[in-house]
Amino acid sequence: MLQRIWSTLCSLKLAIILASIATLLAMGGSLIMHFNPEVFGNLDATTLSGWSRSLGKEHPGLSSWFYATGILIILLAINTACCFIDWLTVIKARWRKTGEYLIHLGFVLVVIAYFWGSLAGSRSERNRVGEGEMIPVKGMPGYYLRLDKFEPLLNERGRPIDMINTVSLLEGDKVVKRGIVKTNTPLLHDGLVVTPASFGRLTIGFELLLPSLGKGYRLTTGDAIPFADGKRLVADAFFPDAVRRNGRVFNRSDNVGQPAYLLRLLDNDETVWSGWYFLGRPQPEALQGLGFNPVVRRPVYRTVSYLTINRDPGSGVALVGGIFISLGVLFALFSFYYKRSRGDRPEIE
Amino acid sequence: MLIFAALPRFGSILIKMMESPAFQSVILKFAFAGYIGATGLYLAHAVGRKPLWLKAAFRIFLIAFGLQTLCLALRWYSAGFLPVTNLFSTQFFFSWALALTYLYFEIRYRIHATGLFVVFLTLLLLGSALPRDPALPPLIPSLDTPLFTWHIIFSFTGYALFAMAFSLGVLYLVQKKLQSDLLPPLATLRKLNEEAIFLGFCLFTLCLILGSIWAHIAWGYYFSWNIKSVWSSIVWLFYAGMCHAKFIRRWQGTGYAWLSIAGFFVVLFTYLGIGLLMQSNHPLE
Repeated sequence: MLQRIWSTLCSLKLAIILASIATLLAMGGSLIMHFNPEVFGNLDATTLSGWSRSLGKEHPGLSSWFYATGILIILLAINTACCFIDWLTVIKARWRKTGEYLIHLGFVLVVIAYFWGSLAGSRSERNRVGEGEMIPVKGMPGYYLRLDKFEPLLNERGRPIDMINTVSLLEGDKVVKRGIVKTNTPLLHDGLVVTPASFGRLTIGFELLLPSLGKGYRLTTGDAIPFADGKRLVADAFFPDAVRRNGRVFNRSDNVGQPAYLLRLLDNDETVWSGWYFLGRPQPEALQGLGFNPVVRRPVYRTVSYLTINRDPGSGVALVGGIFISLGVLFALFSFYYKRSRGDRPEIE
Repeated sequence: MLIFAALPRFGSILIKMMESPAFQSVILKFAFAGYIGATGLYLAHAVGRKPLWLKAAFRIFLIAFGLQTLCLALRWYSAGFLPVTNLFSTQFFFSWALALTYLYFEIRYRIHATGLFVVFLTLLLLGSALPRDPALPPLIPSLDTPLFTWHIIFSFTGYALFAMAFSLGVLYLVQKKLQSDLLPPLATLRKLNEEAIFLGFCLFTLCLILGSIWAHIAWGYYFSWNIKSVWSSIVWLFYAGMCHAKFIRRWQGTGYAWLSIAGFFVVLFTYLGIGLLMQSNHPLE
């Protein structure tokens, strides 16, 4: 009985049946996937488990082929693993098939790695980070990524050709890895992979002309404008597109819409007023008579980098699987030509 | 002495001339004409059975392939990367890979007119590429890696072998029906078909492995759910199944020939259908 079960599990016919059904399902499913981008369009930005819990669950009709194909691939991997184990028991007699069976082993490892990564990994796209800023790493509590330096590389026409990010991975306060992240050069650490996605610029304030003082000032968060009698106006925050709701001020977007500063008026280092000032709108009463009548000259920008931060604990196993498959292919090719050169091509029953 | 002093200057002028698109275009047209001539002679030999025609056909094909290889080398040298990033250059490279596949089988097994479908495909691809703009497009930074180069080489040589398998599969079915002495025996056709599938599968596997490693370092994941990647996996699964099917008696011979034909349609859809009709991460235009 056990022998029969084992034979079925190792069966070549079973492999062909499983591969055929999986192929047909994937063919049809890929078209469903292509014509339903609202369900499947974001699959690369999330893990399979995350997708299954959200969009996959919401659209069971459209995603059923997906799960069925997944199950068939798992069954095919089990069948392949059994086939490999079965070969190991007769390796002395069938060592010339090493190449083919290395491909089997590699395939099993890749399938295990992919499902492991899908269940235990995490994906996070377009993480915005400016120079000197730190962001937490999704899926790795206690870990942070700091952008130490960012330098976009432009060609002679001004088109971006690369993004050089010098980043540090920190565990608490301790730097565990530091490196350059640019195109085709990720930061790799324990299944974590950080790649550059794009970069952009954020408006962080304005250069203002104050006719009453006859001077221009750069006003971004932390900057101050000195006035007569020891008074100073400090910018504590800046929103490029601010809106006031229920007495509170929010930032709607990073595009310049209705810019606003959170200002603090100091008189000999003592705060006498603090509040929001929406550029272009009437001044708050406390600022009238101060001589703060700004004319906007130009925006002040800060370059930010967008990074993809994925974690796939199975990626190492997948790489080992890929190496086994590649070695298997090379062995199989060698064995094929060796056999052909000897005219050794047995008919197979 | 004067001649030696002039040599480097002459060399640089020669390289400059060879790098010019006009020169490359002329070579390519000669190569195309050579392929047409060779095809005509192969067909003539299939009917007339004159050994001289066969010899001439093979030599002309070899010269045409040499010219196309020279053009590919010049384009590669001029660009500084393997130029396979738009429809012209993929058609050009695919046709080169098909011609290489034909040469492999011709030199190894003397298949002559048996591989003519592949030569027709070479002509079709090269012929439809010729009117297109051959200008070398700038390289997208993410493609600037040897992983991309080898991914492409293995992909197109794999596709070319699958095309050869299709051709051999069709001829197997024809031979089974006609029993013609113009075609090789069924056993030979079957053997060649199996070899084409096996080699194609091996090369396509390496293409997928290198593509996955490249995707991981470039985008942070080694498998994308983009339709092109899904269909590439389908191609792999299909031919992996075929590599197993040859061990089952029922699928040997006729069944295998039909599978080779079906497989090539899967390849065609993966290369052309998706690249031209659908939005994917492997656009052809």
